[in-house]
Amino acid sequence: MPSSGKRIWFAGLTSLAVLCLSLSTAHAQDPFQIHQQTGADRIRIAVADFKPQSNTPTTGTYKHAFDTTLFNDLNSAGIFDIVSKDMLPQSTPGFPAEINLSQWSAAPTNAAMVAFGNLSVQGSNLIVNGFLDDAHNTQYPQVFTKQYTQEASDDNARQIAHQFADEIIFRLGGGISGIAETKIYYVKILGTDKEIYEMDYDGANQHALTHLGETSLSPRISPDNSRLAFSVLGTRGWSIKMFSLLLNRTVEFPSATGGDISPAWSPSGQQLAFASSRTGEYQIWISGADGKLSHKITSFSGGNSSPTWNPKTGAQIAWISGRTGLPQLYTMDADGSGVQRLTDGGYASSPSWSPNGQFVAFAWDRKYGPGAPGGQDIYVMEIATKKWIQLTHDGGRCDFPSWSPDGRHIVYANSSDGRANHTRIMSMLADGTQKTALTGAGADMPNWSWK
Amino acid sequence: MTAYATSPDEQNDRYGSGLAGAIVLHALLFAGIIGWAIYQHTHTDRWGENASTTGAIEASMVSAIPLPSKVPPVKDNVLTPDTPSIAPTPPPKEATQPPPKDTDVLVKANTPKPITKTASIPTPAPPKHAQPTPDTAKATTGEQATQIPESISQVPNGTSSITVQNRTFGARYAYYLEGVGRTIAHNWFTQEADPRSSIGKHAKIIFDIQQDGTPANIRIETPSGSTTLDSSALHALQRVEGFGPLPAGNRITVEDTFDYHQ
Repeated sequence: MPSSGKRIWFAGLTSLAVLCLSLSTAHAQDPFQIHQQTGADRIRIAVADFKPQSNTPTTGTYKHAFDTTLFNDLNSAGIFDIVSKDMLPQSTPGFPAEINLSQWSAAPTNAAMVAFGNLSVQGSNLIVNGFLDDAHNTQYPQVFTKQYTQEASDDNARQIAHQFADEIIFRLGGGISGIAETKIYYVKILGTDKEIYEMDYDGANQHALTHLGETSLSPRISPDNSRLAFSVLGTRGWSIKMFSLLLNRTVEFPSATGGDISPAWSPSGQQLAFASSRTGEYQIWISGADGKLSHKITSFSGGNSSPTWNPKTGAQIAWISGRTGLPQLYTMDADGSGVQRLTDGGYASSPSWSPNGQFVAFAWDRKYGPGAPGGQDIYVMEIATKKWIQLTHDGGRCDFPSWSPDGRHIVYANSSDGRANHTRIMSMLADGTQKTALTGAGADMPNWSWK
Repeated sequence: MTAYATSPDEQNDRYGSGLAGAIVLHALLFAGIIGWAIYQHTHTDRWGENASTTGAIEASMVSAIPLPSKVPPVKDNVLTPDTPSIAPTPPPKEATQPPPKDTDVLVKANTPKPITKTASIPTPAPPKHAQPTPDTAKATTGEQATQIPESISQVPNGTSSITVQNRTFGARYAYYLEGVGRTIAHNWFTQEADPRSSIGKHAKIIFDIQQDGTPANIRIETPSGSTTLDSSALHALQRVEGFGPLPAGNRITVEDTFDYHQ
């Protein structure tokens, strides 16, 4: 009998221990639970082909450029569920009187919004009338109507499409302007030289800005889109140069002895943060927009670089510091106080602060070292909670993320085989979806304009 | 004196062996009882589990139960006599005067009939454009039940429905309110609400949207009874920076009902 009782006791203790163990493992798993906030549905929008109103031979080419650009802009906006062109009704409405909205709101189109209009070439002008209708509101369908008149050219047809798309995004996207008219500045690898280039947000219209014949890196456009700061490897080492987009030439910017790299504009456009080794190790410095009144705000050994301002407040700076060994991501107030470490290990680089101030995107090699698994990928961290998500997976080496002004997109450099001259510029939505290549190989360090 | 222990060891050991024996005995006794009980519980059959059926009461279904016959009706029931009582006769009609004959009444011979001219009223053509519905007067009661929400957004474990007090605005700029509802739903994290206390409850938040699209005067109109649901609804609005500029007007007042369900 006692042996039976002992066995029961033992069984009871074992079951209790198992229960405790399972409870503790359940508790330990909590931080890894993924809460997916799917939110509300996207707006389903149908984009009709615009109706040509003139018979000139160029009308067709402009119309094609316009239709394609408008469709792509809305498709990449990240807030729309865009209706495939195969599912649109057969008719091509050019005016509100010609549209039968019940056709568009019924299956298979099921559109909540319809963008349509007409396009004509009159003399040397391209005239576009765009309409946006709410297909579910039979009483007051019209959301807005716009007329655009520009000199007739392919570029202008695309430009008008960008403007019309931005207007639609502004009206339907909760007051956040579209990015269809924004620019991306980047480094073009030309043999041994690296020059600064500019392109539209969708990769079109790529053209050179600088012709220095040197190694130019880290372009950063000013908040008012008037000046471009970048670092140049000259005969006296690294220095920061300033390029005026208004004058289309480099303008005077003082350089100190010792390297100055990785400039970053404050959101006011009045200050420039950068990394400088003028006192020995690389530290973060802040100067006026003219390069004067520079002062040091960090004093940490191990190298400090890649500052980025909080664009919302202009009062904090995130940067990369090697004060504890491998480079990690830190934030501090713009006077150098309140230092906080955000990453817990690995190799972090090139932070970019989101326009709403909530997130920071950065490149991170979480398991850095010889033979370590994984590679360098783009991550986004919420500053307040230090929770992060990985946006790129298995796509090769990714670096230099930069937020779009609407905070919905991130542009970054990607090299699928890890070789520097194979690097190209990619863009994605801020949740890591809709990755598209904007350039071919030989483009690096993108920077999205502020507006 | 030899019966008493003299040395300290002996004094300490006075009850030692007896106490230990008693403890061991009791322990054995208890262990034996518990062990026997557990043994009986686990190794013997449960009551009625393996008992033979002989001697048990056997029950079998019957199709009907022989109930006692019903009581025969009482024949000489004084309360309900077989002969019906005599119905009361209706009162006699009053004698009325016969109506006067036509000839008795003097009629004027040539009375012209009055001509009634009716002008043809043209039916108004239906308006070419859709007309705004007039803002109907507010009912004092039952209004909440009758107002159809302008925008309903589904999120995990929740539904957010928006109503706007200015109904003309709601009809004219439905797309704007759809956007408002969508923005709030994006920012409502239902995980913040405690499911145990929030299921089936709803919090009503009322707020203004200013001309530039920013929400203002956010307040709880009707608390749900769950503080976590109330605060999650408030947080949803506090997270919103703006809904985009108003398409018309200076400000609108919006009610948002946050329904929590499973």
